[in-house]
Amino acid sequence: MGVSDMIIAAVILAGAAYILYRSIWKKKGHCCGCSGGSCDKK
Amino acid sequence: MSVQASNKRQEEVGESQRGVLRPVEKRTITVAVAGNPNAGKSTLINAIAGTKLHVGNWPGVTVEKKEASFDYGGRRIKLVDLPGTYSLSPYTQEEIIARDYLVHERPDLIINVVDATNLERNLYLTVQLMELGIPVVMALNIYDEAEAKGYRIDVQGIEQMLGITVVPTSATRKSGLDELLQSVLATADDPAGHIPQQLNYGEDIEAAAQFMAESLHKSHPSLVDKYPKRWLLLKLMEGDGNLQKEVNIGQEALLDEALHHLKRAHGEDIEAVMADTRYSLASGLTREVLQKPELRKTELTEKIDRVVLNRFLGIPIFLAAMWITFKLTFDLSKPFSDWIGTMISGPFKRWAEALVGFIHAPDWTASLVTDGIISGVGNVLVFVPVIFAMMFFITFLEGSGYMARAAFVMDRAMHAIGLHGKSFIPMLLGFGCNVPAIYATRTLENQRDKTLTALLIPLMSCGARLPVYVVFIGAFFPSHAGTVLWSLYVMGIALAIMMGFIFKRTLFRGEAPMFIMELPPYRMPTFRSLMIHTWEKGKHFLIKAGTYILAFSVIAWFLLNLPWGVEHKKDSYLGQVGQVVAPALKPLGFGQWEAGSSLIAGLVAKEIVVGTMAEIYVKKDEDKKKEKPTFAEDLKEVGISFAKASKDSLANVVSTAGITSISADESAEKAAERNPLREELKKQYTPLGAYAFIVFVLLYIPCVVAIVAMVQELGSWKWFGVTFVYQMALAWGAAFIVYQGGRLLGLGG
Repeated sequence: MGVSDMIIAAVILAGAAYILYRSIWKKKGHCCGCSGGSCDKK
Repeated sequence: MSVQASNKRQEEVGESQRGVLRPVEKRTITVAVAGNPNAGKSTLINAIAGTKLHVGNWPGVTVEKKEASFDYGGRRIKLVDLPGTYSLSPYTQEEIIARDYLVHERPDLIINVVDATNLERNLYLTVQLMELGIPVVMALNIYDEAEAKGYRIDVQGIEQMLGITVVPTSATRKSGLDELLQSVLATADDPAGHIPQQLNYGEDIEAAAQFMAESLHKSHPSLVDKYPKRWLLLKLMEGDGNLQKEVNIGQEALLDEALHHLKRAHGEDIEAVMADTRYSLASGLTREVLQKPELRKTELTEKIDRVVLNRFLGIPIFLAAMWITFKLTFDLSKPFSDWIGTMISGPFKRWAEALVGFIHAPDWTASLVTDGIISGVGNVLVFVPVIFAMMFFITFLEGSGYMARAAFVMDRAMHAIGLHGKSFIPMLLGFGCNVPAIYATRTLENQRDKTLTALLIPLMSCGARLPVYVVFIGAFFPSHAGTVLWSLYVMGIALAIMMGFIFKRTLFRGEAPMFIMELPPYRMPTFRSLMIHTWEKGKHFLIKAGTYILAFSVIAWFLLNLPWGVEHKKDSYLGQVGQVVAPALKPLGFGQWEAGSSLIAGLVAKEIVVGTMAEIYVKKDEDKKKEKPTFAEDLKEVGISFAKASKDSLANVVSTAGITSISADESAEKAAERNPLREELKKQYTPLGAYAFIVFVLLYIPCVVAIVAMVQELGSWKWFGVTFVYQMALAWGAAFIVYQGGRLLGLGG
């Protein structure tokens, strides 16, 4: 695995980790459908 | 009954800083929508503003206040949907949310949504809203049903007696909405001319109120500015604990002095006296304005309820309704799931490979896309039709009014675990998604009920677990799909009752409070409303597939391919974790490292169990030398197979033959090509081990989001700890009993 491969892999993993953080932790326990008002907002 | 014009009240309001009522000119008109549970507030807002608030034909759907803004007649109107309440007393979370908003936020006016078929009960709240000194417009909703029942309501009579504008509406048919909005604008333009009349509570109470008003002006002038004065006086006299704490005058001599004479005349319970007066007004007003036809025949709702709520038939009917729901879910959705599976493993995979080759990406990225993302996300997307079909039928049951009956018939079973039937409503919501169900526990009266219900909700099988069930049921029990699925849901409910029973005797001692639940009339939900709410419930599975299932599929691919160049997935990081867990799973009939890795990954979200299994089990087909079809041929195949899926789905639902008739003549090779994961699972598991596996998936903790929701709602990690420990133990124990018990009974191994 070359340096360029490692950089690409790191970028992809960082993107995936960010999506996980944003969709699970940052929403503080609200499911994805909440934006449509289908469940309650605090 | 006695109503008097409150000119004095208007003067008082005019004097107070917060109570000054000016025409609403340029700024947004804020309108609070308040009413009894199930009066149609959310439906009315949806009909007016085109939003998609969650609507169900049962009380307590709106837990928090929600907003919708729109333009009408050149003005901006913001509707605030308050939770349904029967009064403005501070006893439940809904009441506290509604009254805090009305008292502290002071909207420009209130639309009081009144169920025209239940006038007397709804007017009790109306009387309390009128005490707030905020202009009220009454939407006399469900008016079409009242008319159909032969009710004759004197709308002008209500207007004259209460001093408010009354507009007959039907939110489901969208009738009367223009008139309602015009009344809103007219009231906003002249609020002082639309102050409601006030109920006279009788000489004694009014005299005490007058005395208190004068004393308050002298001793606490700031309070008079901060709160609607008449409301403040009445609530203090009622002994409203929350308000007394808030204004900090609960123990003062002022109250004792004002109430001294009252208590001598009426006894200690002034609140009951005032409640009686309000009921008398509501009752008297109803007698004046409502004419009901003589009941010649039992109404349809009552006829159905005689059967559905029968003490012996109630629970069997509930179980039968669930079984039919699951059977129809499978029959309707399976051909579409198969179609998506074929498309993902065929054309979409080929197109993705071609795209990666076209941009000259490194070789490993092709594997990441096909074996990681497409296998992971694709194998979850396969089950989207199942999830939507399930949500459609659950929405139908909600909208028809049957779910409220389900809660009612479960009341006795719930009492056995120290809860009452109202707790079953959040649990039923959990069949869709555990997260909103956990939030819905805030409708329960006390913290004990709320915590206990939230702890039991994860045992309700949410839609995210469906993909796991469906892939295993499709592989091992295709001819009994509906029954096996039904058994899982029933097992979830039965174990929730069992755990509740244990909790009642350990962590949550005490008796359940009385259960009073309104049973709404049966209604046929409109097709549009069914579609909207099915989409609302199901769409977050799509969003999940595009967000954290996608993200975790990528991470899982790396975890299955690191350390870099690893020969076997077993030796990868995820494989090593799976190997650590596997011995603990061996007595359950699925001691493979693959199962361990998938279950660990499933802690993020249950659908990921399937995605990870697909990444692990599905072999690359690079050694197949088959000629690849052209893009045009692929497109043609997509269209033809979709038409066939639609035809099969219709035939499945219409016929009683069930889903086995569809794939009975399918060759093993074709089935493997269409659903490679299912075929791999058949090689790895026995039917008994497979059933134990899905029982484990049913019972172990649902997902990270539900955990965060629980911590948020219960305000402590302690209860998450309790949930984690008991669910893991329960999942292991139940799967053990299923597998080892099955072996002892000679059901395989």
